[in-house]
Amino acid sequence: MWIFNSVLGKIFEFLFYPFHNLSPWIGMIFISFLTGLFMLFVFRHTSNQQGIKQIKNKIKAHLLELRLYKETLSQSLKAQRNLLGCNLKYISYSAKPMLVMIIPLILIIIHLNLWFGYEPLSSGNTTLLKVKLEETHSPLSTDVTVEAGKGLKVDSPPLRIEENSEIDWRLLVHKRGVHDLYIKVNGEKIKKIVVATTHSLHKISSVKIQGDFIDSLLHPGESPIDDHIPIHSIHITYPNSGMNLWGFHIHWLVAYFVLSVFFGFAFKGVFKVSI
Amino acid sequence: MKPIKRRDFIKWGATAGSFLAVGGGSDLVTRVFGKTDTPKKAIVLGFDGIDPQLLEHWMNEGKLPSFQKLRRQGGFRPLQTSIPPQSPVAWSNFINGTNPGGHAIFDFIHRNPENYIPIFSASKTIPPNNHLSLGNLKIPLTGGDVKLMRKGKAFWQILGEHDIPATVFKIPSNYPPDSSKQRTLSGMGTPDILGSYGIFNFYTTAGANIDENLGGGRIHQVYVIGNRVETKLPGPVNSFKQSRPETEVEFKVYIDPKNPVAKIAIQGQEFILKEGEWSGWKRIHFHMIPTQSVSGICRFYLKQIRPEFKLYVSPVNIDPADPALPISTPQSYAQELENKFGPFYTQGLPADTSALDSDILDDEEFLHQDDIVLQERKKMYEYELSRFESGLLFYYLSSTDQRQHMFWRHIDPHHPIYQPQLAAKYGNAIENIYKEADKMLGKALNKADKNTVLMVMSDHGFTPFRRSFNVNTWLKEMGYLNLINERKQGEEDFFLNTDWSHTKAYALGLNSLYINQRGREGQGIVPSGKEKENLVREIAKNLEKFRDPKTGEKVVRRAFVTQDVYTGDYAQQAPDIILGFNRGYRTSWSSPLGKIPKPVIEDNKEKWSGDHCMDPQVIPGIFLANRRIKANSPALYDLTPTILKIFGIKPPPHMIGKPVL
Repeated sequence: MWIFNSVLGKIFEFLFYPFHNLSPWIGMIFISFLTGLFMLFVFRHTSNQQGIKQIKNKIKAHLLELRLYKETLSQSLKAQRNLLGCNLKYISYSAKPMLVMIIPLILIIIHLNLWFGYEPLSSGNTTLLKVKLEETHSPLSTDVTVEAGKGLKVDSPPLRIEENSEIDWRLLVHKRGVHDLYIKVNGEKIKKIVVATTHSLHKISSVKIQGDFIDSLLHPGESPIDDHIPIHSIHITYPNSGMNLWGFHIHWLVAYFVLSVFFGFAFKGVFKVSI
Repeated sequence: MKPIKRRDFIKWGATAGSFLAVGGGSDLVTRVFGKTDTPKKAIVLGFDGIDPQLLEHWMNEGKLPSFQKLRRQGGFRPLQTSIPPQSPVAWSNFINGTNPGGHAIFDFIHRNPENYIPIFSASKTIPPNNHLSLGNLKIPLTGGDVKLMRKGKAFWQILGEHDIPATVFKIPSNYPPDSSKQRTLSGMGTPDILGSYGIFNFYTTAGANIDENLGGGRIHQVYVIGNRVETKLPGPVNSFKQSRPETEVEFKVYIDPKNPVAKIAIQGQEFILKEGEWSGWKRIHFHMIPTQSVSGICRFYLKQIRPEFKLYVSPVNIDPADPALPISTPQSYAQELENKFGPFYTQGLPADTSALDSDILDDEEFLHQDDIVLQERKKMYEYELSRFESGLLFYYLSSTDQRQHMFWRHIDPHHPIYQPQLAAKYGNAIENIYKEADKMLGKALNKADKNTVLMVMSDHGFTPFRRSFNVNTWLKEMGYLNLINERKQGEEDFFLNTDWSHTKAYALGLNSLYINQRGREGQGIVPSGKEKENLVREIAKNLEKFRDPKTGEKVVRRAFVTQDVYTGDYAQQAPDIILGFNRGYRTSWSSPLGKIPKPVIEDNKEKWSGDHCMDPQVIPGIFLANRRIKANSPALYDLTPTILKIFGIKPPPHMIGKPVL
């Protein structure tokens, strides 16, 4: 799974490379544009284009029928029934491309969350480092230490929470950059990346996890923790990011969805796709 | 009448927050008023409570170089303060250019004459008129309102009418801010999210020491179970529900079994504090009903983990990013500052004097907390100063006042709770805050060019507060006030034990004394006219004659008959007598809310040890300017026409002062 995540991650790094220092909106518009084109491509090649055209024409005809025979109750009801039937058929035509699109779109969204979901840490600010142990290991008896790389400082003694199998530390960022953090346990050393750049668009992985296929799929930002290490996850708290639109913060997913649909509709004529 | 506790009184305004969450809000796109450029400019620094004697002393010692420089450039005069010299009254004199008869703020506390219940003088909460009741839900159909009780026109409104831009930062007596397109941020009088002047929360396992009657704070008994504390942070009353329950947010504190460190988890936010550390601002949402919540901000201070757990949470301030109540004009100004600097104290007087007075915070911790306030203010000051190009900039600092209130005991060896060891450690706290003011002035001096008039002012000075005078007890001893049950004397607040049918006068607020006038008071017995006037003069004379049996000193230096000293449209609403206490004396802690303890006069053993609610002649404020000061004895209300004159505006007729530059 990690190889797959890694390849997909590299593709996104390549795509976003020119946008690191630009407004996140530029990157968002770019990726939404590509997504819009991708959706059109899938729609065109997996849907019954002829059937969609025909059913849309039928819907128009029944709408016209509805207006023309609005005085005749029986005719109106018949038109409405036909309209409903056509709509169901239209939905069935759309279902196939939707099903084809949904998996790649989920993967794209999981990766985009790494780019748009969080803000980098700021210099002078503190954050929470949370290490969750396997349930079989007590935080009171397991020797876990943290080694901060340049630009970071471990700013508190460990806080051990036995009921959660958890050890927490406070980290202080005293220099901008992408920093390495090492968690040491049973002679093993696990690297976790901490992002405190000034880039407006940067990949940020808040969680490094040891887990099954689904866990790895949902946390693709960093390589998974080896199975033999008694750590389940390492979590860094980053501020949530939002897309700023004239002073209003909107969730990146909303912006992505709206823009992708917009580009899809805007270019359907160019690529001769019936939606 | 249902008894009301002191704490409940402080929390009275709590309703406002939740109601106004629905009805509040102003235009986000409102633009700031005024020309982009004026030939003359004015910077006014308002340092609350700076005392002319202390200032001169430290100036002469060379400790305040910027003040010295300003004195050399223009001049330095003591500034006549208001009658009474309380901040809301004094700053209103300055804001309107009148005496209290012109702006209707006579004391921190006024009263409802119908039932003698004390009310805040500065603002009034008006709940929505119409509701829709759905089961336990009570949905307001109209917005509520908060009304500024100061009357008349503020000087920045007059500047706005003449297209002169102004930024007025945290001036007292401006909550809710006067309607204006100028940039203003409300100051003293701005409540916390509960609608009070600031209620902190303190969580402790030390149950035996809990004082239920603590003013200004709430103590919560908590238990550490399995290295975890589970408790709740109280929020505003939920006025969307018929039963009006208090909102609350649950939170957990995880404690390391050995290390002095804890993690607080509240509403999805987790942060670590070491023992003795303050958190940054944390944003809390108090949920009312689906779609409606009130946002507040607070700071956590982990005072101690072992042997007893002690956690202090600051009063929950109105969130400047999403204010539930109006705190700025335009509304976007508070949001602009929040965007630039992050959350900041919006509460009117943010230094937690109650926590220090109640021994929840010690001197060191209080200084640290007030220093957080000071640093926030200084950052915003530098920002405002850096972008000041035209018109007027008024900037206010409260720490000068608050530190003198709390630390005077360290510079006054005659104070009842003076302790030489503490004095040695904290005796320079007041000097240090004067030095901070000096640094701020230094930045303004650097900014001021030849077209800039720079003025520095304070609303009053300071004196020791050693002895407390129970005014109502004195009135009782003199036969002006009678009790229902003599044996219950001193047990009840709010005059609940007062026999109004045999009471001629009562004191309420910090300096105010009222005649129980027939037709004005709910159970008044003294007819208006000659009889009342004679009574007023008789009481005033007797007050001025009264001497402290312990020291032989006069307690009341001057008792001002308000009809002699107030002018203006609202003079008739004034108390009948204003008490001008002698140096070292003030009204007791019990008197302002209508309690009648047994002793007439007693030592003040509170840490609140410096004060200014005295005879105005005892505690003038300060006035310095970089222009020659023409008047020998300028007054607060003279500075208002002075500002208008700088911009070539003729003072309106209601202003009683004269320009002094």
